[in-house]
Amino acid sequence: MKSAFFRQVSRVLVVSMLGLSLPMSPAQAKMVSTDEVAAPAPARTPEQQREHIRAMLARQDVQAGLVKQGVDPAAVKSRVDSLTDDEVSQVSGKLDQVPAGGEILEILLTIFIVLLITDILGFTKVFHFTRSIR
Amino acid sequence: MQYFSLTARLIAGAFFALLLGACATPQTQALLKDKGTLPTQSELAHTPFYPQEAHQCGPASLATAMSASGVRVDPAELTPQVYIPGREGSLQVEMLATTRHRGMVAYQLAPKLNDVLAEVVGGMPVVVLQNLGLNFAPMWHYAVAVGYDLKREEIILRSGKEKRQILPLKTFEYTWSRSDYWAMLALPPGKFPKTVQEDKYVAAVADLEHTGKLKEAQKSYSAALTRWPHNLTAQIGLGNTAYTMKDLKGAEAAFRRASKDHPDSAAAFNNLAQTLYDQKRYHEARVAAQKAVSLGGPLSAASKETLQQIEKKLGKT
Repeated sequence: MKSAFFRQVSRVLVVSMLGLSLPMSPAQAKMVSTDEVAAPAPARTPEQQREHIRAMLARQDVQAGLVKQGVDPAAVKSRVDSLTDDEVSQVSGKLDQVPAGGEILEILLTIFIVLLITDILGFTKVFHFTRSIR
Repeated sequence: MQYFSLTARLIAGAFFALLLGACATPQTQALLKDKGTLPTQSELAHTPFYPQEAHQCGPASLATAMSASGVRVDPAELTPQVYIPGREGSLQVEMLATTRHRGMVAYQLAPKLNDVLAEVVGGMPVVVLQNLGLNFAPMWHYAVAVGYDLKREEIILRSGKEKRQILPLKTFEYTWSRSDYWAMLALPPGKFPKTVQEDKYVAAVADLEHTGKLKEAQKSYSAALTRWPHNLTAQIGLGNTAYTMKDLKGAEAAFRRASKDHPDSAAAFNNLAQTLYDQKRYHEARVAAQKAVSLGGPLSAASKETLQQIEKKLGKT
């Protein structure tokens, strides 16, 4: 009984959220977007609707994740809006694991020695002072 | 004591792994054996250089690539868009998004060393992601490839604080392979990569449109259509950007062209119908919408909605 009620409520919530944050697309819903032509989706089925909701939730997840990682909350929405659905799904739930290019060097002595030698062998390029043998 | 035995084991393990993969620079080997159409040496010496501050190799590399394409940007301007303080770095997806944000087409290259060098020859510096460390101790880093010399087996990069970092091609391949050979270009609208692939390019422009850079996207679609006159996505994209910018005549022309070229595209007829509807040409709109509905397919729900909307108007008048 209770769960049926909550399901109803969550349905209403999902629908209202959908209305709130539709992605940038031609002004009216009746236009077919270029994205849909570039990468045609399967027929508009409940599965696709679920996909849409999943994409939206992923977007919110990435937004929250970026704020947690210290991104300015005022800038975060426009940053996430700039991402395509596909890009959002690539990083959603993995913000702390996906590569973030920035050159961070926090290594133990062990790894330091390994990297020093691999640098010299030309497999890596961690240290500025190394010249690899050929 | 224990620490040292662990050290020894780790070092031994690392070398074993390296020995196994010792000749794992297949792309370099292939290139040195047969360079195809590539010149022996090439360098974009005039590519600007922004020395990297702290962990800002993402903004610095992007600024380098953009400025080389004529969009002068200071790395500091890009930092709020692409840098993540908690990660002390920048994500690949945001490198692409930030490029689009500046009105440029973000084009990801095929994972081929040959293509990176070919783009340099074509005049485009290439942003690459390297893991300078090892898989278990990663050190992710963005740099910009600006030159190479096959005879000396070297690649030239704008990297970190080094204006002209010269790396053995093999070392570069090792570090680059750990990012799954990730490389991108920042293209001004109308300019094509030398190694361009039609579908990938047009999809990259659709992403630019999605970011809301309509004028730049439209210019890029037009350029794509001079190169590939029958590309459906570019035709629809040209129409959609015109439609969103309220140029209904331009949109109509684009959708008519698309529907003529691709008489089986429901999207072309549906969007033509909607554009005619907005111009209050309901009878013509109905013909187009009926055609869209008759084509069925994955878009049939949208087409039916368009038709219903038109019928409603026609019923009233």
